[in-house]
Amino acid sequence: MDKLSPSKPHEITALLEQWSGGNQAALDQLYPLVYEELRRLARSYMRREPKGHTLQTTALINEAYVRLVDQHSVRWQNRSHFFAISAQIMRRILVDHARQHLQAKRGGGAKKISLDEVMIVAKERSEEVLMLDEALANLARLDPRRSQVVELRYFAGLNNSEIASVLQISENTVMRDWNLARAWLYQQLSEKA
Amino acid sequence: MEPERWAQVSRIFNSAIELDSEARDAYVERECGADESLAHEVKRLIENHQKASAQDFIAEPAFANQSSSGSKTLAAGQRLGPYLILQHLGTGGMGEVYLATDARLDRRVALKVLSREVAHDRRRMQRFQQEARLASSLNQPNILTIFEFGEINSLNLLATEYIEGETLRHYLRSHKLKLTEILDIGIQILSALDAAHEAKIVHRDIKPENVMIRSRDHVVKVLDFGLAKATESASSTHASDLEGDTQYKTAAGMVLGTVNYMSPEQAQGLTVDERTDLWSTGVVIYEMVTGQAPFKGRTKSHTLVDILENEPVSLSEASTFAVPDELTRIVDKALAKKLDERYQTAKDMLIDLRKLRKQLDVEAEMRRSVGPALVSKAQTTTSIAGTPTVEASGWQTSRTTKYVILLFAAVVVGGVIWFANTSRHVQEPPSQTTVAPVTEQSLTYSITVQKYRNNKPFEEPFQLAKEMLFERDYQIRLNINGPKSGYLYILNEGPHEKGKPAEFVVLFPSPKSNNGSALINDNERIQIPENSWITFDQEKGTERVWLVFCQKAISDLEPIRGFVNDETKGLLTDSSVRDRVQQFLRSHSTDKPTVEQNTEQRQTRITSASDILVHAIDLEHQ
Repeated sequence: MDKLSPSKPHEITALLEQWSGGNQAALDQLYPLVYEELRRLARSYMRREPKGHTLQTTALINEAYVRLVDQHSVRWQNRSHFFAISAQIMRRILVDHARQHLQAKRGGGAKKISLDEVMIVAKERSEEVLMLDEALANLARLDPRRSQVVELRYFAGLNNSEIASVLQISENTVMRDWNLARAWLYQQLSEKA
Repeated sequence: MEPERWAQVSRIFNSAIELDSEARDAYVERECGADESLAHEVKRLIENHQKASAQDFIAEPAFANQSSSGSKTLAAGQRLGPYLILQHLGTGGMGEVYLATDARLDRRVALKVLSREVAHDRRRMQRFQQEARLASSLNQPNILTIFEFGEINSLNLLATEYIEGETLRHYLRSHKLKLTEILDIGIQILSALDAAHEAKIVHRDIKPENVMIRSRDHVVKVLDFGLAKATESASSTHASDLEGDTQYKTAAGMVLGTVNYMSPEQAQGLTVDERTDLWSTGVVIYEMVTGQAPFKGRTKSHTLVDILENEPVSLSEASTFAVPDELTRIVDKALAKKLDERYQTAKDMLIDLRKLRKQLDVEAEMRRSVGPALVSKAQTTTSIAGTPTVEASGWQTSRTTKYVILLFAAVVVGGVIWFANTSRHVQEPPSQTTVAPVTEQSLTYSITVQKYRNNKPFEEPFQLAKEMLFERDYQIRLNINGPKSGYLYILNEGPHEKGKPAEFVVLFPSPKSNNGSALINDNERIQIPENSWITFDQEKGTERVWLVFCQKAISDLEPIRGFVNDETKGLLTDSSVRDRVQQFLRSHSTDKPTVEQNTEQRQTRITSASDILVHAIDLEHQ
């Protein structure tokens, strides 16, 4: 079993609390710590022997949460905050991999990427991930909440009730937001194509 | 878009998509009033919503979606001992299945990686190994061949022949089966069982999922012989209730199968023997005829109660077409709840099905040759009236010389049946209404095909059942057999080039067989070429193989024996001989023999009413 990354749970917990208290600088410090952990976990998930269960992004984020955050001193909202930030980070990880993968495929990138990294985003989905990332950025300018619903669901793999608790809205609203955002994104991508 | 405008669009959109499609447009128009561009905007979004949802657009998370490949043990391109993994084919109760190539033999295999639940249980592994070893000794064309069983990199692997085709379950979903086809499938399942039971192997899990139909020739292959026993655990026979779900799981959480095909003794957790397989085959036949399994309750428990206590709706009632009484009787007997009332051996059930199959053929033949008056008589006596398919398959009769071998599937593995039961088929019951001419000549032939690559066998040879378009890598052999002695001449006529005379190559007689003589004995089996294969050249075209058979030596053809030597290698280099041969073939090929194809035995019988039999086999290649 891998040892926990050098970051101290207390440190991350403190940063999470500062961030939820409105300190944006805390997020800048938090980001690379969570990023590394999620990336490391994602890789180890790919390598891990199959146990018959399906790999879920939420499982991965949950695992990161348990590893990174001091369970005893956290108020429950912090979990939501952790998921929100993890979703952003997962999005970045996936988009980065998709980009690298496409570059590698086109021969443009000199950087060699390892097999397990490529596997994180399935080949055929690389294009979709990149296009969606871009369209989602446009949606965020028009409607931040609905864009976040998609981010939590598509990039972090959360279900409606988890999204509802992260965003503090009803599940019904999550459903309606999802329908609208998805239709809008589909429209954007199909018009572009 | 302005935030106010977007708020309007989203409000109307969200309410509209909850309405029925009829009410939707009216609602949108009412809400948008005079603002046509707003209405247009909303309608466009609704349209895209429908498309997005129909296409499952971004339905799967970017990462979770890839979990299906993440949970696979092996990746394409990976090497595992002698195996190179090509593709993940599926995941089943036993574990994962991959398409792989075996570098040692350059052949394709289906590679099963046993799930850890199976592999970690030592007792079950021992049983599995024992069964796999036994099953690998089975050598019957309808049994999926097990090549190898072993452990590589701590993975337990089972390599079997790879079949390009679909499971009977799949096949049933997409095809409406004809009666003859149902019988052919049943006959092949039972042939497999007969061989396995001889070797004291009980399948225990006969169901449509374990029966493959090879796309190329519709040959049936029964999978996983003896493996069900190894995957069973004590708890599985008394499966816990899963309401509305006919699949049940073992304690290890492994899906073992549906209960629909379970015999009463299996359902009770009693010891099972060969007769369990006959019950399950009965269930499969019932399902092929009616589209429904005979015992299918609302829940698994209901199904089990039905299996133990209730009689199914009779086959003839449940079927949408007229079912021969004999088939109803056969299925009833297979589904006898009491063991001693059931078929006792696969052979008995097989014999009954074969008899019925032949009877249908004879009746179809009578209908064709005798006309309507006798047909109705045939129908009443055998009660197959209205059977939609009697005219299909089996010995397909056509009065044509040209048997064009056309395109069928490409990837192939299969067993070869050299002249299996030839003589029996030559003595096929003749239709009572045709008077056999005294001078009748007949030959039976089959074609063996094997795919080669780089001059090495690439796939197992198989016997051709239907037409096929040969590709460059295919090589063939011709197997011929006649009931009576006589003079046999076989020539290959190459593709015609404009303005050039046809090229003829003598295939038989050859210097080795018969010492160059064309005379063959009663029931002598001839293989052409003897020790190698006929290969196709790079040119596209049709190779014609002429079969000529007569009780007496044919003076026009006797000179060809002079070209059977190392120098000419059978090529007719003398133009006068060649012209004489061509003239002979042209004048005699107008009198076409009867061609009967037996798709089950993969043989073709040709019968000529005249004293000289001349038949051309066209082999098309690209």
